[in-house]
Amino acid sequence: MKVILGRALAGAVWVVAGCASGAEVQFNRDIRPILSDKCFACHGPDAGNRKSKLRLDVEAEAKADLGGGRRGIVAGDPDKSGVMQRVVSTNKTLRMPPAYLGHAALTAEQIDILQRWIAEGGRYQSHWSFVPPVKAELPAVRDAGWALNAVDRFVLARLEKEGLTPSGRADKARLLRRVTLDLTGLAPTPEETRAFVADEAEGAYERVVERLLASPRYAERMAIRWLEAARYADTNGYQSDGPRDMWRWRDWVIEAFHKNKPFDEFTVEQIAGDLLPGARLDQKIATGFQRNHRTSAEGGIVDEEFRVEYVADRTETTATVWLGATLGCARCHDHKYDPFPQKDFYRLFAFYNNVPEKGFVYNFGNEEPFIKAPLPEQARRLAELEEAVRVAQGRLDGLAEVARKAERSWEKRARELREDWVPSEALGLRADGGGEFDGKRELEIAPSTEVRLNFRDPFTFAAWIEPREGKGAIVSKAEDYWEGTGHGLYLVDGKLRLHVVFRWTDLGFRVETEEAIPLGARQHVAVTYDGSMKARNARIYVNGRPMKMKILFDQGIWPLDPKEPWRVGAGGGLRFTGKIDGVRVWRREMAASEVAAVALAEPVSAIARKKERTAAEREKLRLAFLEWGAPEELREARALLGQARIARDEYYETIPTVMVMEERAERRPTYLLKRGAYDAPGEAVEPAVPAALGAWNPEWPRNRLGLAKWLVARDNPLTARVTVNRFWQMLFGVGLVKTVEDFGSQGEAPSHPELLDWLAAEFLESGWDVKRIIKTMVMSATYQQESKAAAGMEERDPENRLLARGARERLAPEMVRDQALQVSGLLVEKVGGPSVKPYQPEGLWKELASGEDYKADKGEGLYRRTLYQYWRRTIAPPSMMNFDSPSRETCVVRESRTNTPLQALNLMNDVTYVEAARKLGERMWKAGATDEARLQAGWRVALGREPNARELAAAGKALRQFRQHYGAHAEEARQYVSVGESARDEGVPLADAAAYAAVGSLILNLDEMVTKE
Amino acid sequence: MNRRQWFGNTLGTLGSAAMATLEAKSGGLPGLPTHKPTAKRVIYLFMSGGPSQMELFDYKPKLVDVAGKDLPESVRNGQRLTQMSATQLSFPMVPSKFSFAQRGQSGAWVSELLPHTAKIADKLTFIKSMHTEAINHDPAVTFFQTGSQIAGRPSMGAWAVYGLGSESENLPGFVVMLSTGGGGGQPLYDRLWGSGFLPTKYQGVKFRSVGDPVLYLSNPDGFGADNRRVFLDALKEMNESKWEEFGDPETATRMAQYEMAFRMQSSVPELVDLSKESEATFQLYGEEARKPGTYAYNCLLARRLAERGVRFIQLYHRDWDHHGGLPKGLPARCKETDQASAALIQDLEARGMLEDTLVVWGGEFGRTVYCQGRLTADSYGRDHHPRCFTVWMAGGGVKPGVSLGVTDDFSYNVVEDPVHVHDLQATIMHCLGVEHTKLTYRFQGRYFRLTDVHGRVVKAVLS
Repeated sequence: MKVILGRALAGAVWVVAGCASGAEVQFNRDIRPILSDKCFACHGPDAGNRKSKLRLDVEAEAKADLGGGRRGIVAGDPDKSGVMQRVVSTNKTLRMPPAYLGHAALTAEQIDILQRWIAEGGRYQSHWSFVPPVKAELPAVRDAGWALNAVDRFVLARLEKEGLTPSGRADKARLLRRVTLDLTGLAPTPEETRAFVADEAEGAYERVVERLLASPRYAERMAIRWLEAARYADTNGYQSDGPRDMWRWRDWVIEAFHKNKPFDEFTVEQIAGDLLPGARLDQKIATGFQRNHRTSAEGGIVDEEFRVEYVADRTETTATVWLGATLGCARCHDHKYDPFPQKDFYRLFAFYNNVPEKGFVYNFGNEEPFIKAPLPEQARRLAELEEAVRVAQGRLDGLAEVARKAERSWEKRARELREDWVPSEALGLRADGGGEFDGKRELEIAPSTEVRLNFRDPFTFAAWIEPREGKGAIVSKAEDYWEGTGHGLYLVDGKLRLHVVFRWTDLGFRVETEEAIPLGARQHVAVTYDGSMKARNARIYVNGRPMKMKILFDQGIWPLDPKEPWRVGAGGGLRFTGKIDGVRVWRREMAASEVAAVALAEPVSAIARKKERTAAEREKLRLAFLEWGAPEELREARALLGQARIARDEYYETIPTVMVMEERAERRPTYLLKRGAYDAPGEAVEPAVPAALGAWNPEWPRNRLGLAKWLVARDNPLTARVTVNRFWQMLFGVGLVKTVEDFGSQGEAPSHPELLDWLAAEFLESGWDVKRIIKTMVMSATYQQESKAAAGMEERDPENRLLARGARERLAPEMVRDQALQVSGLLVEKVGGPSVKPYQPEGLWKELASGEDYKADKGEGLYRRTLYQYWRRTIAPPSMMNFDSPSRETCVVRESRTNTPLQALNLMNDVTYVEAARKLGERMWKAGATDEARLQAGWRVALGREPNARELAAAGKALRQFRQHYGAHAEEARQYVSVGESARDEGVPLADAAAYAAVGSLILNLDEMVTKE
Repeated sequence: MNRRQWFGNTLGTLGSAAMATLEAKSGGLPGLPTHKPTAKRVIYLFMSGGPSQMELFDYKPKLVDVAGKDLPESVRNGQRLTQMSATQLSFPMVPSKFSFAQRGQSGAWVSELLPHTAKIADKLTFIKSMHTEAINHDPAVTFFQTGSQIAGRPSMGAWAVYGLGSESENLPGFVVMLSTGGGGGQPLYDRLWGSGFLPTKYQGVKFRSVGDPVLYLSNPDGFGADNRRVFLDALKEMNESKWEEFGDPETATRMAQYEMAFRMQSSVPELVDLSKESEATFQLYGEEARKPGTYAYNCLLARRLAERGVRFIQLYHRDWDHHGGLPKGLPARCKETDQASAALIQDLEARGMLEDTLVVWGGEFGRTVYCQGRLTADSYGRDHHPRCFTVWMAGGGVKPGVSLGVTDDFSYNVVEDPVHVHDLQATIMHCLGVEHTKLTYRFQGRYFRLTDVHGRVVKAVLS
């Protein structure tokens, strides 16, 4: 008897189909799926939701005496087992699973198998994926000659058991296209196809596989799936969705695949590269993996709420990518199906809860922590510029004696100077007069357009004041009310206060002196700021002395540019009482020594006359001398040093940064969060891994590094299985475990458990060699089969889970585009670099959000591989979304393929494909002298084969109709061949160019073109 | 469900093959609807940013007496504030600047800002006791549209089309349209009409006011409809050759999708061609309805989509986020939307469609009684307020002329008949004939649903 389960378990049909009556029932294969899906929610791991004493996920408890001799399961005696009594009950109030929760009764088949299992002893097995994989002995097969490697033995054994035979080997050209697309994401060239078809020597296929694996294209192809898992993107992903720069991390991934970095190192460096002893730059860059999650810069968010969200995202992503565990379910309560108490979630969470980070982030670039990540050539260039600064400094130092002499002689002249010195470098405003303020007066000293300061501009404000009251404005460029936008230096409760405000409530920073300043005394006040967006980098000085400062608010991360004039004695709704004069604004941050010099009331001439001078006086004299009295030679040397510094600093600014993981010096405590809520902490927890998933080696540090080591430990039951399963999905369309993201008890059991375990063990034994395991898969006879379904097999096995044929699947979203660019000759191959902006319909950004619209690149940015496409998460590229791309908002590992009219419209009408069709048409036209030869060339370039007679006839007929049409409508032809930025080849006559463009489009729209077969 | 089984595998069934939300009539799940629907379709008028309930529907005359006074702590009762309010020194209460009156037979309170809505008040069902969990736009809108504050879940329209399929042959089953006030307003995100973990074919199709109404709909310049027909005939011939060789149902489905695409190339332009609409219609919706991209135009299009059997029609109008300058901003938004919202109800009713179309109006949260930003004689602002706000519904299965729910004198807390976001979602699904707990999708081992593990149908508003 074949046991066919209902729709709810349709996914498991391949597994259960193996359990013909008579064969022993296996718990993991046959029983766990039923118990998990129907019983565990109320009789499983979630203690909070358990509806009675009965617990069915643990053998001892299932068989325990519940009182009065009642037991859920009585080994060998279905009739006495409570479970059986309840599932067969016709009394609706007694029947399980309960009708009141909307559950249907178990099917007759399910009841039958449960009964048999209990009759056979009701033995449990550990959940299959929680036991480390071991290689089973290769099964015996009848057709041993078919198997090329171990993979085939497992597959064939299963087929033979089903009474099926594998398909023959795929046609060579078709196989080459399949393996080339699978391993590089691009199609083979006609030359490659010809060569392979002609190569009848032993090992021809293997040589192709080796060649493909060695290509940088392989790394690009592997990278994109990893980017999706890592939720990699170019923007923050919430609300206004500002930009970020993570491409250095993306390029690290490409290089790692190219160099075939063993998967354990690949893991350790991404989870904890920064914690490795003597961590290199590339290892730090690798940790960008866990900074790729979305971040929010939405005004008004509660910082901690979102910070917690980020940590949770890292935790869930780790669980999905490495463990195939739906640990996110345990964020709010104990897991309902798998043995993960809620505490497990927060223990894992604790590893990631120690990053010095904020919930509310910068909206215009990378948020801390981030590092400069120069490319090798940038590091070299920077070193050269540093050297230039050193040389210039050396030259200036060499003039020390000259300078001293010149300064001494200048001092004599300086005694007679009438004007006092005011530093002129970057001096923006200077208002010498000011005078008396009566608590009402305001003095406008410059219009709003003069000296504009934005949030990242450094500045220094200075003034002489003699306050009579402890409240007032000194100098401002701010709206004239207390919470107004702008910059202002104020006196509040006698304390000096600096406001830099965009929006009072959440954007800007405010600092004040700890102590009040004396009233009635004339004093010099100054504030400086370096433009670093950190309140702690502001300084307040009184009479040239830095004051102790209190930070009142610290979120100066938003642009501001109020249309307000510069005012003295007014601003922020305040007025001054007393005297103000000598107001200055510089567009640079002054050093403390310079502020001290500026704060001296005594003019240069007086200081020059003095014999004994204070440090500040010496500094003032020196600075005045350098500006006014320095000899040419000295000026020049200083200018050169200045230029060298600017050159270095400007270059430094161009060096890309990347967000990375770091650890706080003092560990942030972690608490279990009740209901998952950030503001409902429960008991404190320590970093630890889920107890159900294997042991912790006490030699590992209790931090991310230890976590990473645990993930790739030899006895971790999941990482290797989950990883090889994703590779399998990539090549065969469906994983051996279809639920690639869930290896728990609600996930699908593997279609070929021994094969999965063999691959996982092999992967481990090979030292996590990615290329090798992928090579093993594609070298198998299983992979190389013809993808055409044998009679009846499409119905019997629509998803090809039994693997009686090769995979026939629509191409992944990025391959659809990359391949079109490639066969048209437009593709620009260049590995890495900042993201690019290919064509996209106008207005897509503008209609959803304020700010700039999307601007497509010019030139090569239009033709790079899709992997490098700029990815704005809230408005993801529509042509990728049409072809089932994940949005990159959260970790997604399951590949999805749909088939929709939007895809048809996309392929027919998107500029990308219209232009590619035109270039493909030109290629065809130039490849032959007759229509037939040209059409054949098109099929060879695009599909690696000759067109059949029917195709040739259909395409030929369409070609003639198009040519006739465009022969009569030159203007239309001109329009049609002008789509896209690339120049048209004028060597092709206009009507032909348009007609062949249309045929090129036909080819790009063929079912086979977007399908791997 | 398996994609291949799903489409059938013979050329004979191609006519019923399906698209994204261009789910054919045969789409949808077995067992659905779970009961007799009262609405065949939903038009959701989403006012993004959070319209103030106090200026529009939730009349609070006693506020005049406490104007300028601090919100009593007993009312706030430890309510968490946005980071924006948290640094505020005082919480001065402000009454509405706008006057209210009771309207129609039902006596529903509607302010002077919505004169057209006021006239049809008897056709509406007000829920004045809505409350939500999120206090910031992104999570709050995401919560409303997907049932979860976290990204990755299917939107309401995607659920509806997944469960019920579409009744339109040539148009998507789930259509989204956007409009905004002058200021732009809070951004929106594709995820709000996304398919989440459902297959992407259930995502909402955006009908745009710039460029192609549907992305990539128009043939390229210089490639006319005649050429497209020649193209499709040749493509069909060649794909048929492939189909005969391989027999992969995906090939057959793809062929059907190209025909569907071709039909859309005429059905969508026909849809947005308003030339046959009467003058009376434009008088009803307002002259703005002639202008693509306006809210009024989108409302008129919504009616046309409804006529053509589209299952879920989602409109967004942005810029209701009045932290400051509310007395200037709010009337402008009302002016942009009031007439057309009311017109849509009247128009549907006149065509006999209101009885099986459910129209919902509302934002993602309400606004605080206390002032935010600069409080002057003429101007004030209000912060986000999740604890109470008003939405209204009309048509397919809801009781007209009802006002459900009562808030306290400060429009701060619900005191009677609270309605949670999941309740509203459950109610909308109920009207569509779907018991909300029955429409689930197994993902990551769990049966997910729009209402998570919550939600109860608000029976009091059902007719």
